[in-house]
Amino acid sequence: MTPVTEEILVADPNLDPESWLDQYGDYLYRFALARIKDRAAAEDLVQETFLAALHGRKSFKGRSAVKTWLSAILKHKIVDYLRKNSREQLINDTDTITESVDDFFHKNGNWKIRPEKWNLDPSKIYEQREFMDTFYKCLSDLPERLSKAFVLREIEGYGTEEICNVLQVSSTNSWVMLHRARMFLRRCLELFWFHKTKEESK
Amino acid sequence: MSHWMFNCKEVSRRVSESMDHDLPVYQRMLIRMHLLMCRYCSRFRRQVMFLRDICRSHQLDESALDTSVNLPSDSRERIRQTLKSSSE
Repeated sequence: MTPVTEEILVADPNLDPESWLDQYGDYLYRFALARIKDRAAAEDLVQETFLAALHGRKSFKGRSAVKTWLSAILKHKIVDYLRKNSREQLINDTDTITESVDDFFHKNGNWKIRPEKWNLDPSKIYEQREFMDTFYKCLSDLPERLSKAFVLREIEGYGTEEICNVLQVSSTNSWVMLHRARMFLRRCLELFWFHKTKEESK
Repeated sequence: MSHWMFNCKEVSRRVSESMDHDLPVYQRMLIRMHLLMCRYCSRFRRQVMFLRDICRSHQLDESALDTSVNLPSDSRERIRQTLKSSSE
């Protein structure tokens, strides 16, 4: 018997969302719980994810596996949730991370805040829960529109045109926003993760 | 550096842009030349690509999850009902 692979599911986009619940309910719940710790809120986010999936079924053209698609919706919801509910912001001192790309550079265009060397070992850094916590915190600390642009692009895999439609901006604008988001996130991880791990390993 | 070359600010912006759309060939060449000489922009490039990897590596997320917890059955039932009533 052939195992039921995700590819087969993708071939049938009208598949019953209730069966998605059976197959991916636990996975999505675990994922939400790992990020936000609050059981009730995690359950709500899972429900919202399935509802969004139900309504968005038509636009899901099997571009990705069902599981990947559902995960992307959930990640989006988690970032929204963290932004609204996170009491302890990583960056309470607005001077810590500059929002403006200009502040990273000297007038002549050379780096002023130079990208530091990151210790990316062990390579499976994504498996470290604390690292992913920091990543999500940084993401939710971004100004709202920047984080939306970033989530749409990098987590949901939208193209420029789709992002422009959702955010009502020009292509050039969307690229500028994504660049700012990347600058900010990169710096945030540097300050709140890579500095910390550097000190610990000393 | 000569005036026809990109500076770090321009290179980092275009490196980021190249992740969102194709750049003209001559720009890609200028970027590549700059990256060969500039370790900070090379780092920047590696690190923003790493951000992309984090977002897309959903299989890797999974191994960090606690498989001893399950979606509670009452919650599962509630979601099932909600899905039913919304799809009608």
